[in-house]
Amino acid sequence: LTFIIPSYFVWLIFVTPFVGALATAALRRARQVSSYVAVAFSFVSAVFAFSMLVPILTGQNLQVDYSVIPKSVPWISGPWLSGISGFKGLTMGVLVDPYTAILANVVAWISFLVMVYSLDYLKEDGGTNRYFFFVSLFIGSMQLIVLSDNLLSLFIGWEMVGLCSYALIGHYWKDETKDWVGTPGEKALGEDQAYPPSHAGMKAFVMTRIGDVAMLAGILILFDYTGTFNYSLLASTSGTWVPRLAHSGLLVPVALLIFGGAVGKSAQFPLHEWLPDAMAGPAPVSALIHAATMVNAGVVLVARVAPLFYFAVFLNPAMSVATVQPFFLTVAWIGAFTALLAASQALVGFELKKILAYSTMSQIGYMMMAVGVAGLSTDFASGLSAALYQLMSHAIFKACLFLAAGALIHAADSKYINEMGGMRAKMKLTFAAVLIAVASLSGIPPFSGFWSKDAVLGVAYGAGQYALFAAGAVTAGLTAFYSFRMLGIVFFGGRSQRLEDVEAAGHLVHEPSPVMWVPYLILAGATVLIGLTALAGQFVPSLNIEATLDSSATSYIQSLYPQVASVPSAGFDVTASVIAIIFVAIGFLAAASFYIIRNASPSRFVGQSGLMHSLHVFLEKRWYINAVYYKVFVNAPIAASNWLSDRFDFKGLFRVNDAGTVLGISLSTAGNWVDANIVDGIANGFSTAGQAISRALRRIQTGIVEQYVQVFALGIILLVLFLLIALGVKLP
Amino acid sequence: VVVPIAIAAVCYLTAGRLGKNVGWIALLGLAFTTLTLLVYGAGQVFGGGPPLSESYPWAGSGQANILTFGFLADNLSLPVVILMNLVLAATVVYSMPYMEKRILSLYGGPKPARFGLYYLNLLLVAAGLAGIALSTNLIELYLFLEMVLIPTFVIISFFGYVQKERVGIIYIIWNQLGAFVFLAGIALAYGATGSFMISDLGATQGSSLAYWIAGLILVGWLVKMGIFGLHMWLPITEAEAPTCFAPTMAVVSGIGAYVIARVLLFGMPSTFQGFSLPLMAWAVITMFYAGAVAVAQSDVKYIFAWSTMSQNAYSILALASFSVLGVAGGVFYFVSHILGKFVMFAAAGILLTQTGVRDTKKMGGLAGKMPFTAALFVIGALILSAVPPTSGFQAEWMMFAGVFTQGAVGSSSYLAVAILGLIATLFTVAYTFWPIRKIFFGSLPSTLEGVKDAPLTMTLPLLAIVVISILIGIYPDLVSKFLINFANGLPIGGRFGG
Repeated sequence: LTFIIPSYFVWLIFVTPFVGALATAALRRARQVSSYVAVAFSFVSAVFAFSMLVPILTGQNLQVDYSVIPKSVPWISGPWLSGISGFKGLTMGVLVDPYTAILANVVAWISFLVMVYSLDYLKEDGGTNRYFFFVSLFIGSMQLIVLSDNLLSLFIGWEMVGLCSYALIGHYWKDETKDWVGTPGEKALGEDQAYPPSHAGMKAFVMTRIGDVAMLAGILILFDYTGTFNYSLLASTSGTWVPRLAHSGLLVPVALLIFGGAVGKSAQFPLHEWLPDAMAGPAPVSALIHAATMVNAGVVLVARVAPLFYFAVFLNPAMSVATVQPFFLTVAWIGAFTALLAASQALVGFELKKILAYSTMSQIGYMMMAVGVAGLSTDFASGLSAALYQLMSHAIFKACLFLAAGALIHAADSKYINEMGGMRAKMKLTFAAVLIAVASLSGIPPFSGFWSKDAVLGVAYGAGQYALFAAGAVTAGLTAFYSFRMLGIVFFGGRSQRLEDVEAAGHLVHEPSPVMWVPYLILAGATVLIGLTALAGQFVPSLNIEATLDSSATSYIQSLYPQVASVPSAGFDVTASVIAIIFVAIGFLAAASFYIIRNASPSRFVGQSGLMHSLHVFLEKRWYINAVYYKVFVNAPIAASNWLSDRFDFKGLFRVNDAGTVLGISLSTAGNWVDANIVDGIANGFSTAGQAISRALRRIQTGIVEQYVQVFALGIILLVLFLLIALGVKLP
Repeated sequence: VVVPIAIAAVCYLTAGRLGKNVGWIALLGLAFTTLTLLVYGAGQVFGGGPPLSESYPWAGSGQANILTFGFLADNLSLPVVILMNLVLAATVVYSMPYMEKRILSLYGGPKPARFGLYYLNLLLVAAGLAGIALSTNLIELYLFLEMVLIPTFVIISFFGYVQKERVGIIYIIWNQLGAFVFLAGIALAYGATGSFMISDLGATQGSSLAYWIAGLILVGWLVKMGIFGLHMWLPITEAEAPTCFAPTMAVVSGIGAYVIARVLLFGMPSTFQGFSLPLMAWAVITMFYAGAVAVAQSDVKYIFAWSTMSQNAYSILALASFSVLGVAGGVFYFVSHILGKFVMFAAAGILLTQTGVRDTKKMGGLAGKMPFTAALFVIGALILSAVPPTSGFQAEWMMFAGVFTQGAVGSSSYLAVAILGLIATLFTVAYTFWPIRKIFFGSLPSTLEGVKDAPLTMTLPLLAIVVISILIGIYPDLVSKFLINFANGLPIGGRFGG
């Protein structure tokens, strides 16, 4: 059975939101209408995305009809590529395979729900037009990343995503104190730890750009070796360029440079510090950018590039897989370390969205680990599919959490969880959604997060990477702790003083409007649905999500290297699962005892001094990494710049000009013959005129303005006349 | 070329009666040349026709014809000259309201003659720039160079800001110095070949003299481009020039990239190759230095003046990389840079006229008061920072692909230079986006409560340039096709698949 869709459907997935952005901008005078227009366009885009998903859901083969838009559209021409046989320029095209289809749908539908939610969330905001413009642009750019068949258009989408995140994080550009992220006045090592939105936006932009520079370097070196950006061309010519790159010792460095881009976008260590502060944006922005889409871009990039490198080496009889393993080890460890690092910071957070942000970094770490492990195991496809699984389930439950957090923050009029408390009484629907999402995030069966986390940990365990597996399992324990800690503090216990005050002031805690809660309940429902399907899949093969994802990963790999054989799905890993569940249980029980049942006191546990207290502060100050970054990469360079500008240049080099002036004056007093000797040929007419003018000016600098206007005018007219004559006389 | 000169005279003569509206005549002139070139350019794109050249005997006679006055519109000069013309046309429109205020504040009244003087000089610069781009021989090039320098000097001295006369002198002295060094190179070349034609320069290659010729020509233009060590004139003159003219100054100094491509890469490629690595290193130093200093500036105009120096160095780096994409990208980047710089300076000029403040520390929260200017400013920053979908991105990747060619396939020192160069681009993001935050975001100082957005005559030219930049950004072939064809014809390295 085959299911055929025309290629322009796929193009329209990313073109529609771009058009939506333009339409929104054009309708800026009709603000209300423009928001709905933007939402409508994102819905259309999602419908086109869905057309790619249909065959996967119905078990058909996906085929594309290229009659309207060809597979490769000429884009940048140049004979300089003639070295590659038959290839005459850069082209642009889209990828259509099940792996891409799933990614595109995750992006499209979550974005659509977030947009619906925003309709109500931002209804009293003055900047909705700008907001919907950038959200639309953002969705289009993200889809461009997902659908591109080459690294250059991916990079274009990539940079535009960066731009949109800058605009959306800094949405509250007036920088009022209520919109700050962090508590103003909070410091670590003397550096501010609280930032206004516009600062946070710029921080995100600049920091991710550091990764982008590495990525661009990697892509360009690759391009210089291959003359193409296209994945499948890269794959089909890999027999030539991979050995050459390896020979110059650049194979792993190039792969790592490209990975640098992913480190930045996906907020992995060491470029992770922008993400927590990016919470300065509105809650739906956090859901969109920092859970469902942008941070996943890095995973998409690695998933695109990693198989390219791996199989190029794997399929080359003259090369050993060990050549590229340093790359995969790095990816896996950066992922695992970030997972642990971020989870540890989430343990002590009090800002609701910041806890979720740490959690995002941590969960993305799992995805990176999965792709890294893929290259270290014998079953590449299941690593790749585990990353996709985790991406999909995380995107859904995290978007749900962020949207619910927006409702909670609005209801309590505070971003701090310790200023909420006991909220389950008045916000039952929200509580239900958060409970489901938190359970999923913690990896509690049968929710989706459990299955996806098991897939990741299973591949690590199966590949014999026990250290990575241990890091992942410990992180799972920490995750359960901080998730239920958050849930407990927000929904259980008594109401905080703050809440009492807010209610006394007439602002009653209440559920938001359906426009807001329907989207996050749908997401919570999806979490349950995926979890239950996965459970059923253990018994009914046709419902086995993991197997479907495995085969979609294989299909992507085979689109690059058709000769790669399919490997049967590894399936559910019981040992890994049991170990992980033990850790999760410990985390859950500890959190439950501290924050839900409340039979133990966390403050007594941490104490006012001693090791636990120091550890608490250390985690709270983000391991001091952020502060050190500010010292080394912000303040020091600015100080150096100021020194260069004021001391070195202005008070140093610039003095040369005074010397020059003195020289000029002495030259002019020396007389005309100097000029004559400096210049020969026709030009001396001009240079003398120039010198004469400068002399004239010097003489009358203090004189009356009118006077020198006349002198100059005369000079210029003479000049023009001379030129006209020169041309006029000689022209035939 | 001739048309702007003629119009310049008309402008000057009629300014007395027309006042600021004389700008429209100037626009007409530039529109005519741009249109002519575009029509021809379109012919090139679709017909793939041969380069257009004209030549006229100039000095000497018969067999002893030593000077030929010629113009050449080919793959290299055509896109450059068209885009320069567009930027200058935008400048002409933008200058009308700007100069009105400037003249009012400088000379205490609407002096129509001053408009005449300004447009006369502006058009001479325009003609000179087009002349430089189209010249076929070195003396002609030199002549047009002077035709650019002197009017520039006049404009700075008459309409500049702080210490305008002093700044004018700094400008003219440094640039004459550069021009003299260039002239010395020309003289040497003439001594060696007996010809001033760029196409005859190649004959000198191989001799030790060739390095002197190329070196002198190079240094002469490096002064103009403000490479580190020879840059002391650039920031102050560009910052103190009238803001509406500052983008033109970026063109004036950036055109060095074109001349290097035309004279050195086209004229004497194998000699130029000898300068490749040291020149790349020098350019990277300049990128770091100028980028770092730009970050330290709080005066809007100084930020972009320093930025010009840094951006010029990008082009130098790319040209010196001696690769097909490097050369194409280097010239492309020059073109994109002037688009971006026009938008940025013009937006800075709007800020200046609307708020009367130059110091970013005294601004803030202006996005609410002037949203349109804020948007244009951000787009300008995107062009300079090479963020898609602007032309800056297409130019930058192409350029660095070329810069990396030598390093990726060849020696590690090239690779190091290339990576450092790419790192230096981070400064651009810092010095464009940090000021944006200071100017447009945060809270509005009480002194700026009454600020309004700019009139349409000021914002429309910017919008036009933005549209052009984005158009090129989405479909770069409009420019890159020509440049790549040119660069591919050069006997230089950096091809693929070898």
